[in-house]
Amino acid sequence: MGTLLNVVVFLPLVGALVAAMLPKGEANQHRTWALVVSLAVFFVSLGLWFGFDPSRGAPEFQFETNVPWIASLGIGYHVGLDGVALLLVMLTTALAPVVILSAWKEIEDRPKEFYIALLFLETAMIGTFAALDLALFYVFYEAILIPMYLLIGVWGSENRVYATVKFFLYTFAASVLMLVAILYVYVNAGRTFDYVTARNTLQVTPAVGALLFGAFALAFAVKVPMFPLHTWLPDAHTEAPTAGSVILAGVLLKMGTFGFFRYAMPLFPEAALRYRGLIAGLAVFGIAYGALMSLVQKDMKRLVAYSSVSHLGFVMLGMMALTAEGLTGSVYQMLNHGVSTGGLFLIVGMLKERRHTRLISDYGGIAKQVPWLATLFVVVTMSSVGLPGTNGFVGEFLILSGTWLSRLPSAGLFAALGATGVVLGAVYMLTLVQKVYFGPNHNPANRHIPDLSVREAFVLAPVIVAIVAMGLAPQPMLQIAKPSVDRLMARMTAAEQRLREAAPTLRPLVGTEPAAIAFARPPAVPAPAVPAPAHGDAPAHGSH
Amino acid sequence: MPPLLDNPAAAQSYLWAIILLPLGGALVNGLFGRRLGRGNVGLIGLAMAGGAFLLSCIAFAWVAGGTNLHFVGDWWFRVVDPSGRAPISVPWGLLVDRLSGTLLLIVTGVGFLIHLYSVGYMSHEDDAGYARFFTYLNLFIAAMLTLVMGDNLVLTFVGWEGVGLASYLLIGFWYTKEENAAAGRKAFVTNRIGDFGFLLGLFAIFSIFGTSDFGQLSARALSLQPDWVLTSGVFAGWTMRGALTFATLGLFVGAAGKSAQIPLYVWLPDAMAGPTPVSALIHAATMVTAGVYLVARTNFLFVLAPTSMAVVTIVGACTALLAAVIAFAQYDLKRVLAYSTVSQLGIMFIGVGSGAYAAGVYHLMTHAFFKACLFLGAGSVMHAMHDDLDIRNMGGLWKKMPSTAKTFLVGTLAITGIVPLSGFFSKDAILAGALFSHNAAWPAVGKIAYVIGTVAAAGTSFYMMRAFALAFVGAPRTRTAEHAHESDWTMTLPLWVLAFLSVVALVLGLPAWLVGHHYAELFQQFTNPVFGRAYKVLGIEEHSAIWPYAVAWVVALVPGWLSWQMYAGSMRGFPDRFVAAFPGFFRLVADKFRIDELYEFILLRPVRKVSQGLFLAVDRFTIEGIFVNGVPKAVYAVGDVLRGWQNGNLQRYATVIAVGAAFILWAVLAAGGY
Repeated sequence: MGTLLNVVVFLPLVGALVAAMLPKGEANQHRTWALVVSLAVFFVSLGLWFGFDPSRGAPEFQFETNVPWIASLGIGYHVGLDGVALLLVMLTTALAPVVILSAWKEIEDRPKEFYIALLFLETAMIGTFAALDLALFYVFYEAILIPMYLLIGVWGSENRVYATVKFFLYTFAASVLMLVAILYVYVNAGRTFDYVTARNTLQVTPAVGALLFGAFALAFAVKVPMFPLHTWLPDAHTEAPTAGSVILAGVLLKMGTFGFFRYAMPLFPEAALRYRGLIAGLAVFGIAYGALMSLVQKDMKRLVAYSSVSHLGFVMLGMMALTAEGLTGSVYQMLNHGVSTGGLFLIVGMLKERRHTRLISDYGGIAKQVPWLATLFVVVTMSSVGLPGTNGFVGEFLILSGTWLSRLPSAGLFAALGATGVVLGAVYMLTLVQKVYFGPNHNPANRHIPDLSVREAFVLAPVIVAIVAMGLAPQPMLQIAKPSVDRLMARMTAAEQRLREAAPTLRPLVGTEPAAIAFARPPAVPAPAVPAPAHGDAPAHGSH
Repeated sequence: MPPLLDNPAAAQSYLWAIILLPLGGALVNGLFGRRLGRGNVGLIGLAMAGGAFLLSCIAFAWVAGGTNLHFVGDWWFRVVDPSGRAPISVPWGLLVDRLSGTLLLIVTGVGFLIHLYSVGYMSHEDDAGYARFFTYLNLFIAAMLTLVMGDNLVLTFVGWEGVGLASYLLIGFWYTKEENAAAGRKAFVTNRIGDFGFLLGLFAIFSIFGTSDFGQLSARALSLQPDWVLTSGVFAGWTMRGALTFATLGLFVGAAGKSAQIPLYVWLPDAMAGPTPVSALIHAATMVTAGVYLVARTNFLFVLAPTSMAVVTIVGACTALLAAVIAFAQYDLKRVLAYSTVSQLGIMFIGVGSGAYAAGVYHLMTHAFFKACLFLGAGSVMHAMHDDLDIRNMGGLWKKMPSTAKTFLVGTLAITGIVPLSGFFSKDAILAGALFSHNAAWPAVGKIAYVIGTVAAAGTSFYMMRAFALAFVGAPRTRTAEHAHESDWTMTLPLWVLAFLSVVALVLGLPAWLVGHHYAELFQQFTNPVFGRAYKVLGIEEHSAIWPYAVAWVVALVPGWLSWQMYAGSMRGFPDRFVAAFPGFFRLVADKFRIDELYEFILLRPVRKVSQGLFLAVDRFTIEGIFVNGVPKAVYAVGDVLRGWQNGNLQRYATVIAVGAAFILWAVLAAGGY
């Protein structure tokens, strides 16, 4: 079974190597080859999807391969997938062909290098999700920077150099801190980089744990990005070519949230419990802040980029709720954001290809010229604002309800503030739709824009199908995420127990609050200091 | 389809078909409409709405016979936590009881008529627009039916937002006009503000009850003790009554958004930018009543939270009055009707807020008939007047468009509450219900609402008669009015059907003193299985006083007669003199009390300014300016200074060395005292 995952990880790289041998001048050969390779990877990855066993007794990591790589340093080639990693790998393999097809006409300059970079990037991304060895993870994680640097720096627009340097320094500086933390873990976990071993054996004092958690969290928070570490994102998104923006929004940002889910929280659960309020606060602030920033952007891509800050705030909020609902919603929202923001960037890219401008004010009233593009943009917009029936609703609903029902202090306030993002999201997205597509078409340059081509229909069809399918039938994906969510919950609950041994009066931290009706008391009896145990839903009181 | 009629299990399994038919119609017309040709597009749209109506009739027959239909659906999404609990479990379940069954008939029945009307009304559109219109209309029906039939609050919310989407698309149907697109966005965003409240109310209900299923909620609400103190969750330390007040107020914020109540009513008048059939179906007959439906649906929660009921009642009463006053000074026929809708919705909220649930829903029904009739009549007038809706330019249309005029008159008399039209019985059942209600927390609220509501009803009578008189009576005031002609049968047939329904719906609400107990308040009796328990909790008994009806009669007749005299009779000229005497006041009312401008000033502009300010101050200046670029710049600056010393210029090095050596020499010598 392990072979299948290895094939999925390295097939794009092999494809890139083969592409390197193809003649430089044959642009269409490169395009076709990259598409064929990415489609092959997708079809092979379907084997992972159908082969994954999400049942309770199944092993945590499946499709595992564990062989020594640099044995003297304790570095192994250890890969495997749990449910969350599987979902993100599927997101990556599904987006890759879409992205490659979308760049067909956009990239005229050095297509060979472009597609090699994309395929290389795909291996690095899948590897990041599949890695179960900290050193291996770090290698993949950083390897992403190289093709991404090139994608923005070579094929980006006017300000690309500034954006590239900023993107690189931001993420690299933060991940160097993580490297230090990884080395510390290596030393203290018995000189091994193996994630599973380290997770089981690592013993750190609270102070050190907090520092290590901080180092990991900082690296991932930049990647997410969380306020106030987000300012690289609008520049990178805006300057990147469409393919770069889609990959960046669709997959790269999830490495941050995935990093929290896979590394920062399970490795240092006590520290995570201690700082979750702070992170949740930044997340909620980011939801509102990103949305407000989107309101005042004049550049379509920048607007969508800021909306990512808002949406990723939801993901982080759900994660910090530490309820099954919040965590599941968080995982689901990672996928949703990949689909819906990916879709937005794709359509914005199509407009830019036609009109060579990203400024909202250069458009207006083009729905008459491009009815299909307009319709699809509205569909993706509805997904982005979380209309029920689209994927966005399920994620946002689980996150907000999971936060409301959580044991996070002031949970109700967090959920309510988070829900303002639902209102503001509608404001900025519908304003964008109105300014770009509706109203009179005054600009002569907008009179003859061609509508959706057949190729573009193939690019957007998977996005639309995913929006509707994931909106109406989320259960299969939620089931796949369930074992990972349950294990993280168990790990956090165990950490809570350890904390409670030190401080017996600790209020409950992890898990879902039971229905209040089961624990109501007559007003005369003073309520005890510690609420009733939360395990199992006691039956509602009968008629008293 | 005999099994549907014989076997409730079979009937239950067909419930989704009621939703899927129009949804399928929307899909087909949306994807292939432009190629199908307009005949087929209209046929598909009509057939799907008609099919949904037929299936609804079957479902209604079951509930009328006393059998509720409940389709127990598979999970839509469900998260089980490690301890095996799953509070967030949302099934695709549908429930038809006597409340949702009634709504089902209204939505599909009126919906079908308006589809028929649209075949003629929208015939000037090009093929793409025609297909788009029927796509959206079918989509709306599907969403509205989901809202009505969902067996849990989350599914209701799905329909709730779905109708919001349809409304957004249809208001902005002629999107090339800037103001239409803006009106669509305004509607969606205002509704989203309401939905924010709905969501919080929904979460509150989840955290109190651990479910959002209507059946389970109602069962658990029955058993709970309002005075007990909650010890867990967000509401730890609250009483049950307090938590329920929070939850129900949240739901009511949602209802206020959807049903255009203060302070969220501002979107509805602007929504008239949409095609007239849309105004009739969505923004008068069905969607905007969803808030009333929601309060009626969750009556078992509201009755335990008297403060929430008081808020519902008072907000409804104030909205009824405010909108009625604004309607006095409007000249756009559709705007008059829009404010009238806002006002009538307020009346419905007085009903469901003061516990007169059957009366509230009964008025919802009669309003659906006569207001749809009035709007479609306005649409017919609009066609004849070449899209001019200013009632000052009309006049004398009675002779030019007899069907439209007669049905419009029926609608006017019905909404005015002239005996013996249905509006009289439904509106006055509400006002009498409010008068005799006893709110446990705020005892005076029912009587206050009765007074305000009665004044609003008097206003309704005046401005509706004014609109009718100006539009249809007298001599034509413009050439367009002179050459107006009647619309074709697809448009007049629905008018007649709706006018007929506006009259006959009265049999459902005749008072006991008139027809005896057996035939009295048929609708009240019919919905008793749904609302009976709520009445018991509230301690509402039957009342059969005659005097409120007499008051209501006077209130309907006198202002209507006055209005007739002023706009079509001997007192002509008085309105102009009145306007001339109080020009400032009239302007203020005509400008809708400048509430939109107020919102712009206190809400929208600050948000934009704050966003822009934050963008410049935080993102651009603090993070970007100081940290991201400032720190490197400082490093560069220091580097620049230092670099000056190491520029590789040998002569400068030599100079520096020489000067330095001279300085040291001088210092050493000076220090040595030489």
